[in-house]
Amino acid sequence: MTSIFRFAAAVTAIVFVAACGPKEKSVKIAVAVPLTGDMGTEGQGLRRAVEMAVEEANAAKRFPYKLVAAPYDDRADPKEAVNVANLIISDPRVVAVIGHYNSGSAIPAAKVYARAPVAMVSPAATNPEVTAQQNSKDWFGPRMVFRVVPTDDVQGSYAATFAYTRLGLRRMTLLHDKTPYGQGLAEQFQKTFLRLSGKIVSEDGISVGDKDFKALLTKIKSDVSKPQGIYFGGLYTEAGLLLKQMRELGLNDPFVFISGDGAKTSGIFDVAGDSADGAYLSIVGVPVEELPSAKAFVDSYKKRWTGSGEELKPFDHFGYEAAQVIFAAMERAGSPDRVKVIAELKKTKYTGVLGTTTFDDKGDTLNKIVTMTRAHAQDHTFPSVK
Amino acid sequence: MLIQQLVNALTLGAIYSLIALGYTLVYGILAMINFAHSEVLMLGAFMALGLAALLPAIFGTGVVGLVGMFILSMAGAGVINVLVERFAYRPLRHISRLAPLISAIGVSIILQNGVFLWISTQSLRFPEPVAIGQVPVFGATISTLQITILAAALILMGLLHFFVERTKLGKAMRACSDDIQTAGLMGINPDYIIALTFFIGGALGGAAGVLYGMNYGSIKYNLGFLPGAKAFTAAVLGGIGNIRGAVLGGFILGILEVLASGYIPNGAQWRDVIAFTVLIIVLLVRPSGLLGEKIAEKV
Repeated sequence: MTSIFRFAAAVTAIVFVAACGPKEKSVKIAVAVPLTGDMGTEGQGLRRAVEMAVEEANAAKRFPYKLVAAPYDDRADPKEAVNVANLIISDPRVVAVIGHYNSGSAIPAAKVYARAPVAMVSPAATNPEVTAQQNSKDWFGPRMVFRVVPTDDVQGSYAATFAYTRLGLRRMTLLHDKTPYGQGLAEQFQKTFLRLSGKIVSEDGISVGDKDFKALLTKIKSDVSKPQGIYFGGLYTEAGLLLKQMRELGLNDPFVFISGDGAKTSGIFDVAGDSADGAYLSIVGVPVEELPSAKAFVDSYKKRWTGSGEELKPFDHFGYEAAQVIFAAMERAGSPDRVKVIAELKKTKYTGVLGTTTFDDKGDTLNKIVTMTRAHAQDHTFPSVK
Repeated sequence: MLIQQLVNALTLGAIYSLIALGYTLVYGILAMINFAHSEVLMLGAFMALGLAALLPAIFGTGVVGLVGMFILSMAGAGVINVLVERFAYRPLRHISRLAPLISAIGVSIILQNGVFLWISTQSLRFPEPVAIGQVPVFGATISTLQITILAAALILMGLLHFFVERTKLGKAMRACSDDIQTAGLMGINPDYIIALTFFIGGALGGAAGVLYGMNYGSIKYNLGFLPGAKAFTAAVLGGIGNIRGAVLGGFILGILEVLASGYIPNGAQWRDVIAFTVLIIVLLVRPSGLLGEKIAEKV
């Protein structure tokens, strides 16, 4: 019996020593995006882009420690985003956060990161409030929110100008999904469209998860002031259902459908099929395929991921750029210290995939390009409108 | 516009009615709310999606393939409902009224997460079984899809009516609904009738799931929740346990929703509020629902 005990003690000792052995020093970059659910495909794309950036940095031995991309799933749900944010700040090895995808998630999560404080660089959340909330009186903590995408005020007003001058539209109907992202886009569209002396015929909110818009679309179709198109602030599931039901009711060309970057993903073809054809969808930046500075990124992304059947998603180059901006700040800071990294991020002047990124005092990028694309159902692409 | 909206309302109402029938049939016999019904509906849609890929090889495309997909998905959903009853409800039937209810919620969570984890977390494209055309009727544009949905739902409701009112098994079902113990004494096997009821309710739910997928063109693991909740409401509105009430309730709810979002300014976001306000008012006036009878508490 005693020999068994002795044996057990020896085994325990060995395991114990092994566990306490010299461990490789590693530093984490948290990637807080939706990894499952409707926005999961976009989030997975961002995760892949950041993982690739991390692998490249490790291979080039840019840091004296090992970098790790740590993915967290916020399920595009603001409540879950706060839970995830709390999890992230309690891990001392996390030096910065790339996320969140949705504005609705980014706004409350940023408040949690401010408490730590740890820098949050959003590759996709476009509501102005994500950074503007840092100016409010009840913001406690330093300013640590950054984003590499232009905001909705840029995108919404771009779409309004496009509709008015390029398409010659004068009467538009406004729809949005009542989220900070969708409503923000719609409001910015309205502001600019009215200033251009266009007319907003009607305005309606829908709910995320609603499926049946036929009644609403029938109302729009038979509106006496004859709207020439719909501007929709929202995401691809609802945009796709709207498009499909629009076509079923006979709302075809020249009646237009314009929406923002949240709807510009191949998922819209899964929902709407051929009905998506001809929809105008604005995106921030330039389509990555048409961006000369992104060629190297696109090539290495394809080499790294296409073999596993994964294609480039619309925000991936923003995710990659967010990672690069953070790496540059970490290099300048000299150590993976959360506060030092925040201070260095403010001084960012980084030229990469998106062109040159610098931040204003709120943390918004000064690189503000918006492009209008048009859905092409036959080959599931979004060529830009020249 | 009115005709168009009416067609929109009837399509929506037809789907609600079919689902509501599943709730009401089960309640009529067991006085139990089958919360897993919304998942049976979802599974019906997923089975149809799977079959749509397989069936053209067997039945060919066109109407035969469509009917084949329909019948097999309905049968599949019915069998799932029977299995759920056999393993999750029957063992608890004589224990308490609450136990099967909790069991039903559990089944719902298990089925939904099963699909979420094993099949897909995202919206899947549902194939268009027939080419969608538009038929102009009195200035309204009605799609062939809406006509298909309405026709399929009405045929199924007609068949159910015939089965319950005119066949021996239907008579047995009604007898069990009146008094399950006495029915047992009269030589009816209650276990058999209950399983049959679950099969029919599940099959109708499965059919509704297929129609739902056809109508909206995409399906997802959580698609059952919202229509399930609304159809349950429709069943209560019509008088739960009453077959005609479920159909009536479904159509009323469909019409209310369409009227609210079609005729009230900015009504789309108030749609559910308006529909449910009317519902509360109806229940205040007629607590047992529109066609519900006042019955003594089942023991």
